[in-house]
Amino acid sequence: MGQTGKAKKILGSLALIFIVCGLYFGLVQAPPDAYQGEVQRIMYLHIPSILTAYLSFFIVFIGSCLFLWKREKRDDILAHSGAEIGVLFTGLTIIEGSIWGKPTWGVWWTWDARLTLTGILFLIFIGYLMLRSLIEDENRGAVCAAVLGIIGFLDIPLIHMSVYWWRTLHQPPSILRPDKLPWENVHPSMLIALAVNFIAFLLLYFYLLSLRIHLGELQEKVKNVRLYGPA
Amino acid sequence: MDILRQTTWLLWKDLLLEIRRRESLLAMFFFGVLILFIFHFAFEIPKEKAAEMAPGLLWLAFIFTGTLGLAQLFQAERENHCLEALLLSPVDRGALYLAKVLFNTLLMLLVELVVFPLFWMLFNLEAWNLLPSLFLVALLGTVGFCAIGALFSAVTLKARSRELLLPLLIFPLMIPVILATIRSMEILFRTGGFEEAYDWLRLLIGFDVIFLTAGFLIFEWVIEA
Amino acid sequence: MFRKGTGLHVAVQGLSKAYGFFWGLRDITLEFKPSDCIALLGPNGAGKTTLLKLLSALLSPTQGEITLDGARFDAGSSRLRSLIGYLSPHEHIYDGLTPRENLLLFAALYGRKENPLENEQRLKAVGLEGWSDQYAAALSSGMKCRLAIAKWLLLKPEMMLLDEPYGVLDGSGVEFLENYIRGLCSSGGIAVIATHHVQRVLRLCSRAIVLEQGRVVFDEVKREPWESFHRAYAKFTPRE
Repeated sequence: MGQTGKAKKILGSLALIFIVCGLYFGLVQAPPDAYQGEVQRIMYLHIPSILTAYLSFFIVFIGSCLFLWKREKRDDILAHSGAEIGVLFTGLTIIEGSIWGKPTWGVWWTWDARLTLTGILFLIFIGYLMLRSLIEDENRGAVCAAVLGIIGFLDIPLIHMSVYWWRTLHQPPSILRPDKLPWENVHPSMLIALAVNFIAFLLLYFYLLSLRIHLGELQEKVKNVRLYGPA
Repeated sequence: MDILRQTTWLLWKDLLLEIRRRESLLAMFFFGVLILFIFHFAFEIPKEKAAEMAPGLLWLAFIFTGTLGLAQLFQAERENHCLEALLLSPVDRGALYLAKVLFNTLLMLLVELVVFPLFWMLFNLEAWNLLPSLFLVALLGTVGFCAIGALFSAVTLKARSRELLLPLLIFPLMIPVILATIRSMEILFRTGGFEEAYDWLRLLIGFDVIFLTAGFLIFEWVIEA
Repeated sequence: MFRKGTGLHVAVQGLSKAYGFFWGLRDITLEFKPSDCIALLGPNGAGKTTLLKLLSALLSPTQGEITLDGARFDAGSSRLRSLIGYLSPHEHIYDGLTPRENLLLFAALYGRKENPLENEQRLKAVGLEGWSDQYAAALSSGMKCRLAIAKWLLLKPEMMLLDEPYGVLDGSGVEFLENYIRGLCSSGGIAVIATHHVQRVLRLCSRAIVLEQGRVVFDEVKREPWESFHRAYAKFTPRE
């Protein structure tokens, strides 16, 4: 345990507190949306979860770059952990999107640019994890995964651009266009609810990340004990 | 230039082996034709809709045949552990990458040269004059496809069930190429010119440049690991 | 930096290689000097092939390093690679190319000047002159091994690593290979021969290293009679 264990506990408790607060602000404090009614409240989870999903792509990229540069095991653990939690949050985003989409648009899935993009990110993350599990040699697996992490990250702007042009040029723009969120007309308590939930998700994200990194370090330790004998 | 000389030798080796054994090209070619038939059974494409569906169907055929080629890309190096022989040599690792990209691009272009006119004949398309411009778009897309494909063919080289893993990894990454080529071809069919497709073509060229460069730089780590 | 004619000094410092939870090699420290002809011995799984692959940078070590004349040698150092030759039991020959084309390709990849006459001489020297236009697939494994030897004759490495070279060669092939190794070592090169043919290799080598479970258990320069070697090696050979 020790210092880091305590820090983790504090991080976890903070995340829990903010989640509870976020639920209160989102479900009780904020007024229902003028057009969508109560359903719109799912936004308070949806936007934070997609932002954390993007964040984890960035973390995978950073971990991958550092690993290829310095070949330190801990950078590989960072990338791997980021990807696993990234899958979780991307998957969550898609599920929330569907739940939101059904009452609002009448469909579970629509080929909206950002929905499509999220789906593609999800597939890349899944590929990353599959690649890791299918390469026997540990070092080779780490290097190859890092390469996918970097190439995938470089590809995101291009995927984003192509998917966005594809939708805007060939279909009427959908509700979820980023420039269409009317920030000026939003009720202040809605903004507060969003902000609190965003902080809650960030805390939760880093809490899960620290747990997963700890797990990776323990696995490494087990390997070292078996290689070098108990220290 | 050492790298160019080495790339040429490696490409010479791959082409020579392919000419002698025809392991990839024939299979890719017949697979491409087979897909056209299956498309027809699946969609019963009427004459008036053929032009509309052509870009998507053609690109699906190219991508599947291309993936077939990628799965075989390092076959020659598997025999007698020749990959080790290449790694022992002082050859530039970037040259290994470029040779493989060029090789798969050449194979795919040869298949495309046949599949394009065949598609026109099978589905009674009349816009024969568009073929050169369409082929140019296909060339840009094929380079991008192989730039990513050759890199990940090496990534999956020592993975279990690598033939299954390879398409899973590269198809999501390939989405800009797929969208850009299909939309540009569609615009070509609709307007007969490149003007409206400039954005897409720029995206396609950008993709090619970015991932050829990245692949060239990264390949060393993949192949040595 | 290595200069032609001075001979190559190879230093192996604290070299270890882990495979998953197991050590393939553990903390090996060795030094090879010019003209060393080394027999690398040990039971199956002792780490002979691992050591050869590390020395040729086909594998990267878990710990430790290898230096060639003071320059660190690892996967990234392409330039130093032409100093090392590796005769693998897997032949390293393209089956779809003819022996002549194989030599042509590798000479080009090693940056050697194109010299068809020299290629012919090498093929003749290893007894493949009648086969130079057949596909290598048609060659027997012994002949492929001869072709691989011709390749290294052409590429002239400073240190030659041989992994069980006696397995497939016939009498004249072995004789030719041993002459090549003697020539290499007498002109300042290094040869490391991993093999189970102990009697043969003892006649050839000037030094023996015995590995057991990834560690060096014996490393001495040859002398006659060599009691200590026979004691060390008796453990692995059934009494006759």
